[in-house]
Amino acid sequence: MNLITPQPPGNTPQPVPASTPAAAAAPTVASPAGQQSAVASKPPAALVPPPPAPVLPNPLAHLSLPFRGVDYAAKGYHAEATVAPDQVVSVAEQLDKEGLSLDTITGVDWMAEGQMEVVYDYFHPAKALRVVVRARIPRDNPEIATILKVFPGANWHERETHDFFGIRFLGHPNLTPFLLPEDADYHPLRKDFAQ
Amino acid sequence: MEAQDDSAQALKDCAPYVKFAKLDELLALGRANSLWPLTFGLACCAIEMMAAGASRFDLARFGAEVFRPSPRQADLMIIAGTVNKKMAAAVKTLYDQMPEPKWVIAMGNCAISGGPFVFPGQYAVIEGVDKLFPVDVYIPGCPPRPEALIEGLLKLEEKLTGKRRWPVVKSE
Amino acid sequence: MIAKEQLKTEISADGAPRETFVINLGPQHPATHGVLRVKMTMDGEYIVRAEPVCGYIHRMQEKMGENRTYAQFLPNTSRIDYLSAMTYTHGFVGAVERAAKLQVPPRAEYIRVITSEMNRISSHLVWWGAFLLDLGGFTPLLYAFDDREKILDLLEGITGSRLTYSYFRIGGVYNDIDDTFIQGTRAFVAQMRPRLKMYRSLVTDNIILRKRLVEIGPISKEMCRKYGATGPVIRGSGVPYDVRRVEPYSAYSEFDFVIPVLDAGDSMARYLVRMEEMVQSLRIIEQALDKLPGGPVMAEKIPRVLKLPAGDYCYAVEAARGRFAVRIVSDNKEIPYRVKLRTPSLSNLSLFEEASEGMLLPDALALMGSLDLVIPDIDR
Repeated sequence: MNLITPQPPGNTPQPVPASTPAAAAAPTVASPAGQQSAVASKPPAALVPPPPAPVLPNPLAHLSLPFRGVDYAAKGYHAEATVAPDQVVSVAEQLDKEGLSLDTITGVDWMAEGQMEVVYDYFHPAKALRVVVRARIPRDNPEIATILKVFPGANWHERETHDFFGIRFLGHPNLTPFLLPEDADYHPLRKDFAQ
Repeated sequence: MEAQDDSAQALKDCAPYVKFAKLDELLALGRANSLWPLTFGLACCAIEMMAAGASRFDLARFGAEVFRPSPRQADLMIIAGTVNKKMAAAVKTLYDQMPEPKWVIAMGNCAISGGPFVFPGQYAVIEGVDKLFPVDVYIPGCPPRPEALIEGLLKLEEKLTGKRRWPVVKSE
Repeated sequence: MIAKEQLKTEISADGAPRETFVINLGPQHPATHGVLRVKMTMDGEYIVRAEPVCGYIHRMQEKMGENRTYAQFLPNTSRIDYLSAMTYTHGFVGAVERAAKLQVPPRAEYIRVITSEMNRISSHLVWWGAFLLDLGGFTPLLYAFDDREKILDLLEGITGSRLTYSYFRIGGVYNDIDDTFIQGTRAFVAQMRPRLKMYRSLVTDNIILRKRLVEIGPISKEMCRKYGATGPVIRGSGVPYDVRRVEPYSAYSEFDFVIPVLDAGDSMARYLVRMEEMVQSLRIIEQALDKLPGGPVMAEKIPRVLKLPAGDYCYAVEAARGRFAVRIVSDNKEIPYRVKLRTPSLSNLSLFEEASEGMLLPDALALMGSLDLVIPDIDR
């Protein structure tokens, strides 16, 4: 039974489009001056470009890591970084020294781009600081190092990510199914999973 | 002749005080009034089962408050919660370990048919515990109220003895 | 507890051979946590290694997030952790509202706080009753459920459900509260305070309970941080981390309440933190009822078919068990691209393997009970 009833196009009101992450994180948004019309009638809202997003302070600027400040009220985290897969362990070590705690590790299957994204969430137990670290790995051979030595709590999160996506965490001592049955050989949260 | 009349009369006199019945009926009555459930709460319905065993709804009135942890000592399995493909083997083992006569109540939508977790492409949930073994009473709800569990228990008692202990409550 | 070095040797000091054996705790066991299996390698009564095996109640919540619209996913949120269902719905609904930039009316925020705190009390009551049942005392369970029935009656009056409410909707709450609820809640708060005092004198100060819990199952601050443990686990180890204080959400910044923190790190500390949290929840409920604003309970102009702009959005709440966070990845369609649920019980249980080495079996069960697990929260 398919519960999602397709709506006819054109009569669904859209919510106000929020600024996309790329726009929020980019240092400046060049608003083409030519589009600002001098005509007395107000241009429709969709044509006026959004005001340039403020540059948000990076709470982890003292670390030499590619973190960007993020608008917490809009997104729910304070800083994010996209790193290469072989850097995740050193990032985890530096965040560990900062006193952050591991929130969760998960994956996102970007099948159209042929990549999988491993997302590491960290939070600070003493102040409002939530940090997201992302790493993209190729979808047909998804491997990334484990951060188990830095955060032992990563053990179960990585096993679960392996269960759902098939991402292999190199160096993990026990990458057996965690939530799926012991003999499971399928990865259900992949976008091409079909029962 | 007189002795027979006397004994017939004696039977009539003590009828209000002494019940005579076929052994089957007696056994059925005993079984129905002392169903010992297996503690088998899997998920949310387990909390309503616990609430049914607590003081307000009180399963003890029906003789069913003795939840046994071991299947060897239980005769009723109340499946309260979703049965998973990983868990199915364990549930079947527990069912097999229960001695006869045994009964099964499927409590909640998950035990009846997989509940809210059935969707096209689902990979983990057994769609109804009657795919594993026979079920005697189905109690729908998500979760069913403790009163519904008690009603299910009364229905099971009716199945055992042929008589309902308590008339069905009619709404006004 | 015995030292780890003593556990590993096959031959003990006096020459007698020592053998370890593996026993299975669960997945069906009388402690009402749910279906958790723990493979324990035992050296007599001492645990050499306890390895939890999960997945027996895996209900595909995250997969269903990719198959349901935002409104259709709401019933799932209640069933992740059914004991504090309101707070979990709050987490999901908050993420959607943050992404869609919906403004929730203040009356709805206050109602959310009141019902969440009532839910927290009812969750802690179930924890308390079940924990004492694990330790061997049956009666407190009956008292706890009696109090809980009063909360459930009040919540049923406004939500229609006893356990798995889908009361919070995207943009507000579904139904306004009426005078019956307000007066009933005030009466409940008034009668709950002496009950908590009674529980303190009868149970908390009981010498048997103290001997079972004090100095049992120590968890250090560093262990909590490394495993991501939150909630009363981290607050019982001396770290004042509560999402309501550190990342305030909803109307919590307007209320005056104390975050109970204890330094001992043992099971007794976690127990006392939860008992005190119930007292503080009563305070929050009273303040919220006093300051309850008028107005609508649902935001205006919520799109009938909600599509979130592309990107990922997070929201964290303090559930009864710890920090619950939702991450929604959207690609501008009606259904999310990915819903990630960060649940507290998984992080709390992950430290059990390290924390229980060398413990006696009943002490390990006291430790597990003091972590307050709900297994569908781990398996989702």
